[in-house]
Amino acid sequence: MQRQRSLLILIGVLIIAAIVVINTISIPLGLDLRGGSQLTIQVKTTPEIKQITDRELEAVKKVVEGRINGLGVSEPVVQTIGKDQILVQLPGVSDPQQAERVLGGTAQLEFRTQKPGTETQLFAFQTSRAELKAKQQDLRKSNEQAAIVKNQQDLQKNNQAIAELFESTNPPLAGKFLKDAAGEPTQNNNWNVAIRFDQKGGELFAELTKKLAGTGRSIGIFLDNELISAPSVGPEFAASGISGGAAVITGRFTAQEANNLGVQLRGGALPVPVQIVENRTVGATLGKDSIQRSLYAGIGGLLLVLIFMLVYYRLPGLIADVALIIYALLTYATFALLGVTLTLPGIAGFILSIGMAVDANVLIFERTREELRGGKSLYRSIEAGFYRAWSSILDSHVTSLISCAALFFLGAGLVKGFALTLALGLGVNLFTAITCSRTLLFLSLQFPNLRKPELFCPNLSTSIKSGAEVQS
Amino acid sequence: MKFSVIKQRKLWWTTSVIATIISIVAMVISWQQLGAPLRPSLDFVGGTRLQFERDCTQPNNCTQPIEISDVREVIDAQKLNNSSIQIIGQKQQGISVRTKTLDVEQRTQLQTALTEKIGAFDPKGTQIDTVGPTLGRQLLSQGLLALVVSFAAIVVYLSVRFQLDYAVIAILALFHDVLITLGVFSILGLVAGIEVDSLFVVAILTITGFSVTDTVIIYDRIREILHLHPDDHIDKVVDDAINQTLTRSINTTFTVLLTLFSLFLFGGETLRNFSLALIIGFTMGAYSSIFLASTLLAWWRERKGQTNVVNSAEPIDTSTSSQDS
Repeated sequence: MQRQRSLLILIGVLIIAAIVVINTISIPLGLDLRGGSQLTIQVKTTPEIKQITDRELEAVKKVVEGRINGLGVSEPVVQTIGKDQILVQLPGVSDPQQAERVLGGTAQLEFRTQKPGTETQLFAFQTSRAELKAKQQDLRKSNEQAAIVKNQQDLQKNNQAIAELFESTNPPLAGKFLKDAAGEPTQNNNWNVAIRFDQKGGELFAELTKKLAGTGRSIGIFLDNELISAPSVGPEFAASGISGGAAVITGRFTAQEANNLGVQLRGGALPVPVQIVENRTVGATLGKDSIQRSLYAGIGGLLLVLIFMLVYYRLPGLIADVALIIYALLTYATFALLGVTLTLPGIAGFILSIGMAVDANVLIFERTREELRGGKSLYRSIEAGFYRAWSSILDSHVTSLISCAALFFLGAGLVKGFALTLALGLGVNLFTAITCSRTLLFLSLQFPNLRKPELFCPNLSTSIKSGAEVQS
Repeated sequence: MKFSVIKQRKLWWTTSVIATIISIVAMVISWQQLGAPLRPSLDFVGGTRLQFERDCTQPNNCTQPIEISDVREVIDAQKLNNSSIQIIGQKQQGISVRTKTLDVEQRTQLQTALTEKIGAFDPKGTQIDTVGPTLGRQLLSQGLLALVVSFAAIVVYLSVRFQLDYAVIAILALFHDVLITLGVFSILGLVAGIEVDSLFVVAILTITGFSVTDTVIIYDRIREILHLHPDDHIDKVVDDAINQTLTRSINTTFTVLLTLFSLFLFGGETLRNFSLALIIGFTMGAYSSIFLASTLLAWWRERKGQTNVVNSAEPIDTSTSSQDS
């Protein structure tokens, strides 16, 4: 009894915890439910770059991130998948065409020279740009779509204005001449970014730096027409420029800033084209419809199962129903805790798992009935029901989990959501269907009025040889 | 009431063989007509599907239902032959167009042309699915790999839990369930144009997990009875096992079917075919466990003269029942 009581307390605590979790943490919705665009970007190989390495993929990802920031979308997600793909999620995008246009194509990195007499202008624009960017961060947190778009337009104007202060060299010192770029630590706890050009690039860079050295004007490093760095060149290089094809951008960089700039430069230098190979866009209204529909389907399915269990299994059915509701609560809370993003297939998996969740209870109760018909006492029959059904329950869960695992590790994004919700459901189910319903069932047996075999098994013949009370 | 599955096993076997043959024939016909055993969606072959809804907040935009001939005209003008067009929505204010893979420029062009002809669309009601052909092949091979791996893992698991012949027959029954589900969708693809997408692969994988579950429940019982009554004939053991587990097999399948029917009826377009596949597969799973897996096991054991051998892979504790009986 002591064990029963502590289990009962545990169940109670879990239910309360689940309700608290559900009320405090909201489950993020997938793009198919909230509306938005999901793009898969394929990084293509070229004759020069035959294989995409992790380092290159990371660099391209940086470029893609930079382009997305230019779109002014709130909460974008960019992640690499596999060896040569990048997944981009853009919630609430109303013009997926624009996004695709911006994201496709090879990165454009260029080293330009600042036009004479624009020093003060550049400083002013850079200050206002920093303000605009800070404002954009705040706006994204508050999620005010209209303000974000407005601010984004200001930013773009600002970028354009900055770009006009610079001019290309002849021929342009483009990203293709850049061999490598990486952040490196200096002796006094600072970070620099080292860049290295090929031979032709080195010559162009020497020429460019010679022209700018000591003038106070900067080199403008542009990625996709946005200024990402504007280093100046010291007067000591006025004679011959920075020759030899290697240079160091100094500044008060933190490790992260230096690495960021390094990756950006590398990405911009990569001559790999990217292509959008998948676009899944769902309008916000359609997403809302899907939520509505799956809600109906979920409630419908749950109700049908609850009614069936109650009608067919009576008292234990009622307990299975309670266990099922606990199951739904706990599973949903688990999703919230683990940060599962709910997609339409994910919801389908959850609804399906509601139907499967009572499987274990059906197995147990049928077994209990058999034992009762075999003439055992009520208490013993229930014990045997739980005990004997265990091996079947385990088998059925393991085989289903095998399929889920195969889906999760080998399936694509959409499919993973389904596998995850179904598998989590199966796990929670082991606890609710066995521990919960067992505890509740034995609890109910403490009430004499409920201690009747016919509440467990209708039409049980009265010729039972055991000592259980039987009313005819 | 007791019913004997063994007695009429020839009937069950014939039924299943016929159903399997029909499925295979359907897939062969489908292969000849469509170049694939099932009608593949753009998930697997690449393509573009655009769905637009008219913006009904604009005046006079939604007065008439959309004419399919108008849409066809635009599509033909864009030289997108072999495209399929559907008018959707209760008030026929939406269209769905499936074409070859379009890049962003072609898509914009098409959308502009459609807007000019039909009226402004609501961006919130727009759905776009574009999959490049290479990615399609990648999705397909990922799906098939998941299937093969899951099959293999289930064989291994069952061989550990039961003897090898149990496992092989369970997998045979599983093949049967999957084949017939594929067959039904092959026929649906031929006559109703229903396509199979990534979710269909998910459905098939879920069916494999569930179908084996049903079989395992009966096999568990067969093993238990064999242990208690080692001298019984295998036919009787199987019949007993099935009779004892029949309600469970039916009820476990039934509760799942309840939720699936709910998904089928209320779940919307995306989940309809998915739940249909599961409904067919789960029903077949229950059928094959009761009528195929068990009768085949009895037949196999009979043939090998091993009717009285008890599996010792996992001894069953029978102490509870021996105390009482």
